[in-house]
Amino acid sequence: MALRNRLRRAAPIGAVALLLAVPVGACSSQSNQGTSKSGPLVIGASISLTGDFADPGKAVKAGYDLWASTVNAKGGILGRPVQFKIVDDTSSPDQVVTNYQNLINKDKVDLVVGPFSTLLTIPASQVAKRYGYAFLEPAGGGPKVFDQKLDNLFFVQPAPVVKQGDVFADWVLSLPADQRPKTAAYTELDDPFATPIAENLRSRFEAAGIKTVYKQVYPAETQDYSPIMAKVVAVKPDMLVGGTQSEDAYGQVKSLVQLKFSPPFMFLSNGANSPVEFPDKVGAGNTTGIMSSGDWFPGSTAAGSADFAAAYIKAHGGTADSIDNSSAEAYAVGQVIEAVAKKTGKIDNATIISTLHQGSWPTVLGDLSWDANGAPTGSFHLVQWQNGKLVPVFPAATAAGNKPLFPKPNWGSG
Amino acid sequence: MHALIQGVILGVLTGGVYALMASGQTLIFGIMKVINLAQGAFVILAAYLAYQLFVSFGVDPFLSIPVTTVVMFGLGVGVQVLFLRPLRREDKAELSLLVTFAVALLVEGVLSVTWNTTHRSINTSYANDSISLWSFQITEVRLWAFLLSLAALGGLYLVLNRTRFGRAVRATVQNPDAALLLGVEAQRVSALGFGLGAATAAAAGSIYGLLYPFNAGSHYDLISRLLSIVVLGGMGSVGGAVIAAMIVSTSSAVVASTLSPVWSEMTFFVILLLVLLIRPQGIFGTAGRGAI
Repeated sequence: MALRNRLRRAAPIGAVALLLAVPVGACSSQSNQGTSKSGPLVIGASISLTGDFADPGKAVKAGYDLWASTVNAKGGILGRPVQFKIVDDTSSPDQVVTNYQNLINKDKVDLVVGPFSTLLTIPASQVAKRYGYAFLEPAGGGPKVFDQKLDNLFFVQPAPVVKQGDVFADWVLSLPADQRPKTAAYTELDDPFATPIAENLRSRFEAAGIKTVYKQVYPAETQDYSPIMAKVVAVKPDMLVGGTQSEDAYGQVKSLVQLKFSPPFMFLSNGANSPVEFPDKVGAGNTTGIMSSGDWFPGSTAAGSADFAAAYIKAHGGTADSIDNSSAEAYAVGQVIEAVAKKTGKIDNATIISTLHQGSWPTVLGDLSWDANGAPTGSFHLVQWQNGKLVPVFPAATAAGNKPLFPKPNWGSG
Repeated sequence: MHALIQGVILGVLTGGVYALMASGQTLIFGIMKVINLAQGAFVILAAYLAYQLFVSFGVDPFLSIPVTTVVMFGLGVGVQVLFLRPLRREDKAELSLLVTFAVALLVEGVLSVTWNTTHRSINTSYANDSISLWSFQITEVRLWAFLLSLAALGGLYLVLNRTRFGRAVRATVQNPDAALLLGVEAQRVSALGFGLGAATAAAAGSIYGLLYPFNAGSHYDLISRLLSIVVLGGMGSVGGAVIAAMIVSTSSAVVASTLSPVWSEMTFFVILLLVLLIRPQGIFGTAGRGAI
């Protein structure tokens, strides 16, 4: 859990960096228009290639690169080949500010796109705003991103982080009353990307009359989940909602298996939606019936999804299951840029900003649309483990014929 | 009541594992008056070795312990000879803190470059099996880990009390000058003692990897717990470290089961603070001479 500790430590540093950055920006002129240029369309991005976010950062880079090669194979954007200028921010909120300032002022890139994580997206988006650049970003979906009320920012995912789990409530509450769970337990990691998802679900379920029989928020340092899970087992809820991130999701499942209790409905906000890690960590036989939510999944029928998966496998090997969602999200950023150019016949920051606030934009993540602050207004897909695979099950339109499996079968029956 | 007993079971089983890790730590302090901040990193390194042997060759982490023990022992001796021996005696205590911390960072760096930052865990086929005893569930891995820790501690006890080397170690702990006069080769004892301390990390690493997900940064959490246990038990006292490990892990598991997991982590440090206020030398520590 050292990573989270470091994030906490990094936050004040980021604030200081922002303060320092203000005067520099204030005296710079607004020079952003790359309209009537010819030659390559240069897109700048700062990405964590080292440091805490190195792994997801590299996945984002893979998505950007993949989109660039795909679009260039089709002749580029408005006849201009796409070229990425990617610099490493070492996962530091200070460096990310410097990087975007350099990309915009020194390298004079045509467009900029986002880094990885909410922590880095916030300072980066403010730099972009100051210079009038549009800021499409694939990985900063925390509430603080939208609290900035920036009109140049667009979070390229179907919904903000806190609403990621809402699709589970949509499904449960769509069931006939006699099939719905009557009681629910909530186990939530004390984390801005986990607790709000579970709390959102809890308020919707309580409003619908599903009784809360247990709720526990646990700290990030928790190593043993059996004391928490033993309490869940003691109240035998019909439904377990875990506001989880990754390791804690695995820990919860393992403890429940060891305690031999399988809740009929089980939703984990994150961790369970990782196609490779999850079965590896909890044992493939224990995954069946567990639900989570996701934006991209192997076999998705969303716009360009099959091409994306094929191109990814061609470039990196492996199977569709080994594709990190962050790559799909970064790829979708490119698709949106491409769509704006196609629709308006122009590619510059002012056009992107004014165009994207209306309409719906097809990507590998589904059709996206944004409110005035750049928060996406759609919803995630409900995904479930069935026969050792993570499949979409709700809403029916994107479920490709898969039906939600409930009650969840016992452990080890997959 | 049920939750309380389940908590005690968990606490005792986990306590055994911490006892093993802390015994190596306290042994090193006892012999050399060196606070080894790299012990946590050694445990994580051993966990990665066991992980790799399991993933690449399918070697069960319990069975790979003899191999990792030899590796860790060699590493421990190497660190002592290369980095700690050159320190001047008068400022050894302070400088060794810096040196062992540097070793910890070095190990962490190598681990994160080799295995990157993703959390790993050793998932054997029996990882999620549990034994039902009345209405209590006892995780098999924890039970085996506990028994193994006891066996390793027993082995350590025999080495310290039944061998010539053990007698030399105890003599060095109790009175380094007198030991030197009686012909104990302090340099050699220090190197082997450091190696022995690091070797306990091998078994502990295999077990840690079976119980918890880990990455290169995991050693920070670990070392803070280990230091608390060592201080609580009395620095240099192996028996004290075992008792202290049991006390802290049982009480934090009981607090997690009965009160809230939020308070459980804090229990550790509250106990430490209380002991330091009432008995600053730790439960089994002696104010002047060393004890073991």
